[in-house]
Order: sequence, then C-alpha cells, then structure tokens
Amino acid sequence: MSALGAIFTRELRLAFAGGGGPAGPAAFNLAALALAPLAIGPDADTLQAAGPGVIAFAALLATLQPAERIFSEDASDGTLELYALSPVGLALSLFMKTLAFILAVFWTTPLLAFIGGLAYGMDVGSAFVLALGLAFAAPGLAFIAAFAGALAAGLKRAGLLIALIAAPLQVPLLVFAAGAGRAAMDGTGLEGPNLMMALAGSLAALALAPFGAAAALKARLE
Amino acid sequence: MWSYFANPERFDRLARALIPWCWGVAAVLFAVGLPWALYFSPGDYQQSDTVRIMYVHVPAAWLAMFAYAGLGGASFVYFIWRHNLADLAARAIAPAGAVFAFICLATGSLWGRPMWGAWWVWDARLTSMLVLFLLYLGYMALRGAIEDEKLSARAGAVLAMAGLINLPVIKFSVDWWNTLHQGASVFRFDGPTIDASQLWPLAIMALGFTVLYLALVLTQMRAMMMERRAEALERRRERRLELEAEL
Repeated sequence: MSALGAIFTRELRLAFAGGGGPAGPAAFNLAALALAPLAIGPDADTLQAAGPGVIAFAALLATLQPAERIFSEDASDGTLELYALSPVGLALSLFMKTLAFILAVFWTTPLLAFIGGLAYGMDVGSAFVLALGLAFAAPGLAFIAAFAGALAAGLKRAGLLIALIAAPLQVPLLVFAAGAGRAAMDGTGLEGPNLMMALAGSLAALALAPFGAAAALKARLE
Repeated sequence: MWSYFANPERFDRLARALIPWCWGVAAVLFAVGLPWALYFSPGDYQQSDTVRIMYVHVPAAWLAMFAYAGLGGASFVYFIWRHNLADLAARAIAPAGAVFAFICLATGSLWGRPMWGAWWVWDARLTSMLVLFLLYLGYMALRGAIEDEKLSARAGAVLAMAGLINLPVIKFSVDWWNTLHQGASVFRFDGPTIDASQLWPLAIMALGFTVLYLALVLTQMRAMMMERRAEALERRRERRLELEAEL
C-alpha cells in the first residue's frame, strides 16, 4: 500500500511543483467559457439555453489539454519501467497516478462550471446541478483522455491524435453531464437519472481505463 | 480454430480460392439487387421514390456496425494470441468499415433533405453513426502515426477493444439524448414491419454488401501479405548484394 501512497504523493507534488497545479487546464477552461458568448452572441435567452452544453464542452476540452504530457515524461525518463516492475503492477500504479493528477488538476472544473452557469444566466439551483454533473463526469473524462494519452505517448503530433481518439469515447459523459444541467434548467425532472448515468460512466472509465493505458504502455516497454 | 487459420500459407490458399467467388457472388447479387431495388420495387406510399435510398443506406449502416464488431474481434484475437493474421484483418477491415459508415452518412443526408427538410439532423442514430465514423478515423490515425509495426498493432488492438466496449454506451447515451429516426423495422421480435416487396430487394442488397465487404477485406489482406513478402525479399536481396560486395 505504501508504494501506491508514494506514487500518489509524488504525482501531487509534481503537479503543483512543475505543472502549476490546476492553472493550465483551468485557464484553458475559463478562456473557452469566455470566448463562447463572443461567438454565440449576447442574447440572454440563447446564452442561457446554450449554457449547460457550452460549459460541459469547455470542461471536456480542458481534460484533453494536459493529456499529452501525463505519460510522456514518465515514458522517457524510465519511471514507467519502475512502475511496471513494482509489485503493485502497472495498471494499479497508473490508476493511482492518474487519480492524483485529476485531484490536483481538475478540482477546479465544478467550480468553473458553477460560476460559468451563473454567468450564462442559469439559476443557482441548476448551476449547482450542472457543477455536480461535471464533478461526477470530470474524473471519467480525464481518465479517458489519459488512456488516449497513453496510446499516443511519445508520438509526433500526439495532441491531435489524442483529441481524435478520446472525443468519441467521451460522448456519453458529455451527454449526461450537460443533460443534468439542462434537465434542471428546463424542469423536466430528469436531472437525477442524468447525474446517476454520469457517475456510472465515470466509475466505469475509472475501472477500465487504467488497464487500457497499462496495456498500451506495456507494449511500448517491451 | 484460430491457430489452424493463423498459418499464413493455409490462409493464403483459402483466401486465393475464396476471393474470386466473393467478387463473383457480389457482382451477381448487385446485378439482381440494384435494378430490383432502384427500379422494379414499388415506391413507398409516403416517401415515394426516395425510399430507394434505403436499399443502399441500410446495408451500409449494418456493414459499418458489423465491420466494427469484426475490427474489435480481430483485435481481441491479436491481443490474446498474437496472430499476425488477426492484425492484418483488423488493418484491412478499418478502411472498409469507415467507407461504409461514410456511405451511410452521405445517403442518410441525401434522404433527410427531402424527408426531414434538412441535410443533417442531430438525430440519435445519425449521430451515433457519426461517432462510429470518428472511431474508425481515430483507429486509422493511430495506426498510421506509429511506425513500429508491433507497437502499432498492439496500440491499435487496445483502442479497437476500448471502442467496442464503449460503443453500446455511446449508442444508449445518444438514444437518450435525442431520437427522431424511425425505429427498427426489419429485426424485431414480432417479425418485420416492412412489406415483402421491399424486404426481398433489401435482403439481396444487404447480402451483396456483405459479400462485397468480405471480398474487399480478403483482397486487402492478401495484398498486405504480399507487400510484406515483397519487402522481405527486397531486404534479402540487398543483404546478398552487400555480402557479394564484401567478397
């Protein structure tokens, strides 16, 4: 267990020391939220209707942003070999690493979603539901992005490839997270099921993505 | 069974025997099915002649999904047993599946214009076909980006299997999200709701598409095998020339 704890704290320290913690993806998320109204137009009704979708989409884009670097450094400096040799195994090590990374980097996503919801004219209650939906969905989105990052680690133009690989797999989480916010706003009473589905999808990604990432990276180590 | 056909020689003999048959049967099926579907079958009482697009659209949609199942299955076999032929099959299936998905999207859009009044509608089935098309593109882009052949095969297999697991979830989530497309009318528990005069040409076209798909995949697999053999021969020739030069 201490090996996993060591991986966890190492990743937290790395995220805050060299990576600036949540700063990069959060700034990216915020920029996307700020630019969308400039493209959509200032009409309050349109912005409110588009709000949950735009906010969930901005959160999705922010998870793709750091996916390229999450495994590439570990692949080049030999850390991955150590993870593969460790008694806990590669999949569990990668799970711990990605989990720490997500806690360090994406804790801002629900906050930004809440603030963004208010800025797009949603009422407090539905902005909170949307934030909750993204709090559920963000770990899954980030795990899928990390899986794509593992497949593309060390390749030229990996960023482009990651977006193309991860985007289709992230569709369900996007649908349910944005759907929760929209359902709360429209009063259809479907926010509960949407939230549950977002959480279920996220947990499934948490359970499966580390094995996929481990299989992809193991092929690289041989 | 996998190991029996994993022998490249045996597969090559089988493929060489099958390929002309596949092309021939596909040609016959299309020769019968196309005129029947596009000319002799009755128009729909609501959709009139636009219903004929269905005879291309529906088989293409089936094949696009069937091919992804094949891609995932071949990837699974490669990932577990490391049979190179399974990887060849996956590599041959992907472009064929992508083309079928594209045909499905293009014909759907041509049909949607007169029927729904729009080239593109964000309907659940259309959207999940679009996502399937993106999955194919992502797979082919990943395979193309990795130069090392073994690594490319294994990374591709992992991605194809992940896509296969996720595909039902995507389908479900998009269905939940919006549905405008008509429900299934052929494969239903209470029997098909489509009339026999339309079901027969549809069945022949679907069979024709399937045999065409087999022909495309087998031909492509043989082509890739021969390409690999040619490269090996080329390398051997170069090595011999080097040795002779040294002597």
